[in-house]
This record gives sequence, structure tokens and C-alpha cells, in this order.
Amino acid sequence: MSVRSGRRIFWAVSLFLFLAGMVLSLLTGPVMTTPADLVRFLRAPDPVHAAIFVDLRLARAVLAFLVGAALALSGAILQGYFRNPMADPFVVGVSSGASLGAVTATLLGFEAAAFGFSGPGLFAFVSGLAIVSLVYVLSLRRGGFKVETLLLTGIAAGSLASALTSFLLFMRSDSYDRAVFWLLGSFQLAEWSQAAAIAPWVALGLAGSIWLARDMDLLALGDETAQALGSPVRRVRKVFLALSALLASLGVAVSGIIGFVGLVVPHWVRLLIGPSHRRLFAASALAGGTFLLYCDLLARNLLPAELPIGVITAAVGAPFFLYLLHKKR
Amino acid sequence: MSFLEIDRLSAGYDGRTVIHDVSLAVEPGEFVAILGRNGSGKSTLIKAVQNLIGRSAGRVRCGGEDVSGLGPRRLAARIAYVSQLAEPVFEYTVGEIVLMGRFARQGRLERFSAEDEAAAAEAMRWTDVEALRGQRLSQLSGGESQRVFIARALAQDAPLLLLDEPSSHLDIAYQVEIYRLLARLQKERAKAVMVAEHNINLAAAYAGRLVFLAGGTIAAEGPPEETVTAGNIRRIFGADVDIRANSRSGRPEVSLAGVGEKP
Repeated sequence: MSVRSGRRIFWAVSLFLFLAGMVLSLLTGPVMTTPADLVRFLRAPDPVHAAIFVDLRLARAVLAFLVGAALALSGAILQGYFRNPMADPFVVGVSSGASLGAVTATLLGFEAAAFGFSGPGLFAFVSGLAIVSLVYVLSLRRGGFKVETLLLTGIAAGSLASALTSFLLFMRSDSYDRAVFWLLGSFQLAEWSQAAAIAPWVALGLAGSIWLARDMDLLALGDETAQALGSPVRRVRKVFLALSALLASLGVAVSGIIGFVGLVVPHWVRLLIGPSHRRLFAASALAGGTFLLYCDLLARNLLPAELPIGVITAAVGAPFFLYLLHKKR
Repeated sequence: MSFLEIDRLSAGYDGRTVIHDVSLAVEPGEFVAILGRNGSGKSTLIKAVQNLIGRSAGRVRCGGEDVSGLGPRRLAARIAYVSQLAEPVFEYTVGEIVLMGRFARQGRLERFSAEDEAAAAEAMRWTDVEALRGQRLSQLSGGESQRVFIARALAQDAPLLLLDEPSSHLDIAYQVEIYRLLARLQKERAKAVMVAEHNINLAAAYAGRLVFLAGGTIAAEGPPEETVTAGNIRRIFGADVDIRANSRSGRPEVSLAGVGEKP
């Protein structure tokens, strides 16, 4: 099988899975619906089915897809940024920072919604971006900036944010139930307003990263070589760090922390279609969105009570990841 | 006018100056080797010349323009750089790596043009890596990887090639292979070549001019016949050597004094 036809198969299978996942999401839920109900609704819409299909299920599916795309793209960017396939939004502290913001807002009872985000969501978004800015400033040194310093600073800041979150929960254990949404992730509260709020930013993140994808390819050869080949490395690095922080913060802001997607999806995609970043970014977004769509299907249907989605992403992702890793060797 | 003019350049890292007051000119089509002990500033010079590290004093002009005003894209059209051999990350193919040399010649969202493909193919032909096109870098030997990186630099289509220790980590056969390739590029493609090199014999065999650095300043400069002397080597490297002419090329060679003697 040639490399090119392998890529075609990847795109065809991903698109098929995406469409199938969308249809499945529309058909499953607490209210029994059949494909015939969906067809009937599409021919002659009625308010009851509109509420079920469009406002509940489609909104949730679209939101899950957008968040999956954002997280996988953020991970793909950071893996290229650090030249390390083990990087993900946790290593720069953005996930832990954002969840600290969300939990703080929850415990303070700050619930006012704005810009399509809930109060804690807005806090999550702002604190995710704030912690990455802080990490970046702390890792700047006289005479420049080293990627290794950024990585270590990010890990330290992330650990500190997690410790603060644990401390807050310990002090206010009565609020644990409300805070757990942010710590384990869920799409239970999905609304169209959230999807509408993050969609333009996800599109911007995708467009920006594809615009600079060739620069990211050059970074794999080392910063000096990349610059010698013509890439404005410092500026490129700033843009990519900002984009990855933006995308990961958005994800936490609407659905809480969802691990594993940002780490594993770009890794799978690289194994399947190669390291070239223009393809990798687009394919990671599609695969990440599709992956989270199916994980959400499992989260809400596997047991009578809904499971946190972070549990599903790891439980499904890890074995598949191991399979691919060993098959390729 | 010289293609590369280095004028009283001082540069280093993190506020520490490594090279001091270095002046040097490289003519079009010339092969210059920078020699010196570890830490003498060879790599620093190679990097400072193309504005990869900050300089504290002096000026570098390439093709008549100050390199600090050129920006990476325009500088890449004049100078191609091959760094010291490094472990590759991610599994790019040889073909993809060579095409990366065309970065500065394209718009960000453009597909590779016929001209880009032709330049990459020609570069791979010169370096004899066409057969490796679909291979991953991690599958190649050190000598093959180095040829791929030189192909990438050739695809860049710049008049000056800068190489940082192109022979390090290579066995003796690959070292000669790389230097013969560089000498051919100089003679047949009229490339100016400037290498930082630690192997004196290799540099003396292929370069037209040697520049010896000691403590960040130029300690000797000239053709191999004039600069590779026992006195210079003792002064610059602190090593006792005998000098003899290579039996085939007549170029000077060092052999360690004391080897073969009883202690």
C-alpha cells in the first residue's frame, strides 16, 4: 500500500466515522428514538422532536466534536513545539491552570454567564491563558529563551495549580459535587451557545496552525536550522504557544478537563499519515473531534448514570494507542 | 568585492563573549576551513555570521548587505547552513527533508512548484541520495544523513554553504566522502564553502585557505602549505607534531610526534 493511498484511506475512514458518529448521537439518549423518527422529523419538523434532536443531542454532539478538535489540535501543536510526542496541554500548565480557575469560580459561587460561557467556564478560559503567559515570562532569561526551561516551568506551574485546586476542594468539601464536573469533564450541560462561542476560535486555531505548518516542520530540525532555512522562529513559537493555550483553555471552559485526547490523538495520526504538520493539524482536528464524539456516546449510554468523559477517553484511548504502537514496530 | 565580509566581529552566548574582534572575508567560490581547539569559537563564528546568535560588536555583510537587517527569509537565499549532526525527531522522509530547503522560496500555503521539485531532485542527484528518497532519516547511517542535510542546503540554492563540523561522528570513509562532495560543489557548482572543522588533515587536504582560531581570535590564516607548520600547531593546539607532505596530493599533514617512540 502506497503512502498516498494510505492517507486517502485515513481521510475516508475518519469522515465516515465522523458522519456515523453524528447520526448515532442523534439517535441515542434517554428518550427512545428510531431512524424513522429522525427521517419523519427532517421531513416535517415538530417542536418536541426539535428539542430532542436539535437542542439536546445535536448541540451536545457538535460541542463534543469541537472540544475534541480543539484538544487534539492543541496537543499536535505542543508536540511539534517541544519536538516531543509525549507533550500535551498539561505540560505547559494550561489544563491545570484552567481547571483551577473553574473550581475557584464554582466555590465562590460565581455563576453569571457571559459570551456564551458559564461563570466558571469564563474563569477557566482566562486563568488558562494567564498561567501560560506567566510560564512564558518566567522562562524568559537574559539572552533568550530555552524550550527546555519552558517545559519544566510549565510542569511546575501545572503541579502548583493542581495542588491549589486540591487544597480548595479539601477546605470546601461541601462543594465537591459541583467542582467534580470541571475535574473529570462532561458534556451534560452542553448548549448551542457554548458551541457557537468556541467554534470561531477553533476555526481560527486551525487556520493559524495550518498557515504556519511548514515552519513547524522546520522546527523539528532544531531552532537554529529552522531559522537558517528562513523561518522567523521566535515569532512562530510565540504564535503557536498562544494558539495551543487558547485551544486548550476553550476546551476546559465548556467541558472541564478532558485528558488523553491531546496526548494520544496527534500521536495516532502521526503514526498513520506521517509527521508533515499541514496534514497532521487538519487530521488531528478531525480525528480528535470524532474520537470525543464516540467517547461521549459511551459516557452517556454505557451505564444508567452518566460517566465522566475523562474516564472514557483514557479507557478507550490507551489500549488503541498501545495496539498502534506495537503494530508499527 | 568579497561575498562574505566579517568586520571586527565579537559574539557569544548569554552575555559571554566567545569570539573577539574577528575579521575575515570569503570570496565567491572559495573553500575556507575554520580550525582550532574545542571551545576556540569555531561554531560560534559559523552561527554569528548568519545572525543565529547575537553579536556584541562588529558587522557581517553578505552580498553587500548587513545580515542583521536581512531577516531569515532573505538571508536563507544567500547562506545555507548545515548544523552538527543531530538526532532527528519525527519520522520525516529524506524527500521531505530535502524539500524543506525550499522553504524560503515559497509562500506559506503554496504547493511545491515544479522548480522546487527540480531543485530538490538536482540536490539529491549531486549528493547521491535519490535512492533514499522514501526512507526515514532514522534508518540512515551517519554519512547518509549528512549527505541528506547537504542536499537540503543545496536545494536552498544559496551561493554560500556554512557547515559546522560536517565530519564529526563520521568514520574515516564518510569523512572523505563528505569533503570530496564539498570540494566538487566548490569547483563544479562555484559554491563558496566555509566549514568549522577539528580534523586538521581533512581541512588541509580540501580547503584552499585555513583560519586558525585560538581563544576566540584569529591565530593564523593562509593556505595550508603556509599555516600547517609544527610551530603553529604547537602554539595553537599545544600539541607536538611532525609535518610532512601527503605522498599523493603534496598537501601538508600532521602526524603526532612521539607516536612509535618508547615512553
